[in-house]
Amino acid sequence: MTTSKTNPREPHSLPYYITDPTPLPSHIPSVPEIGATSAPLLSASYFIGARCAPFNEDFMLCRSQSRSGEIDCLKEGRRVTRCAISVLDDINKNCQAEFRKHWGCLENENHDLSRCRLDEAPLNACVAKFLNLTKVIPNSDGTPINDYETPSFFKNKVKAKYEQ
Amino acid sequence: MSTSQDLPPKGGYDAIQWRRNLPSRGFRPSIYLGIMGAVSLFGFWRLSIAMRVAREEKREKTWARIHLLPLLQAEADRDTVRRHYATMEREKAIMKDRPDWADGKPVYHDGRLHAPTFVILEDAKSAR
Repeated sequence: MTTSKTNPREPHSLPYYITDPTPLPSHIPSVPEIGATSAPLLSASYFIGARCAPFNEDFMLCRSQSRSGEIDCLKEGRRVTRCAISVLDDINKNCQAEFRKHWGCLENENHDLSRCRLDEAPLNACVAKFLNLTKVIPNSDGTPINDYETPSFFKNKVKAKYEQ
Repeated sequence: MSTSQDLPPKGGYDAIQWRRNLPSRGFRPSIYLGIMGAVSLFGFWRLSIAMRVAREEKREKTWARIHLLPLLQAEADRDTVRRHYATMEREKAIMKDRPDWADGKPVYHDGRLHAPTFVILEDAKSAR
């Protein structure tokens, strides 16, 4: 917002200039947004996928089949968001300590899932016990990814750090 | 008169050492080749494991993103629609004195929702 004598024009590419606070029209039902940042979402992604697969696929099918899917698929989109919120709520209710530890590790380790296996295992066990949701990577050969051999010396060092 | 003649020593001269006297060090070359092959085989074996793990971890990350994509898309869509309706309202207010103006008529006729190609900048002081 500084103007100089050489360039009296005010800069106008600042983000608050183009914010549009107008709310959604009243004929569209409102839904709470998920409100979680990237690390909790990544940590819970497979559980969201496990529980919300029908809603997710329904939404994406609607999006791909409609020309203006943004407007036509608002209802499916609300279902997707509500389902994801329910997953996060349930995890926070039953497995909050494990969840926080895992996504805290993801934040510290550059969102690298392979460096947070030690925190992931108790979270997976807890979620499988209380929420009955399991992490399954599609089209894998059945080996749980935690059981893969980690030949890298660096990974063993990281592992040793977390075992302390 | 006794004559002395230069004669070889008794038993003859020693053999002339014409071959180079280089002691051979280390193993046979084939053994070094074999060691190199063994080290390479071990390395490629570990590399195959590492590549398999890396591929699996990449797939894991990709599927995590696929599971989250509808959620993020739905949120972004709601924002797009909100901005779209705000733009329509703004257009209606700006063009209210023009009876020949068709409100909300799209520029393109492909049935898609297009983000506006221009941005109404608010007054700097009121935006703060």
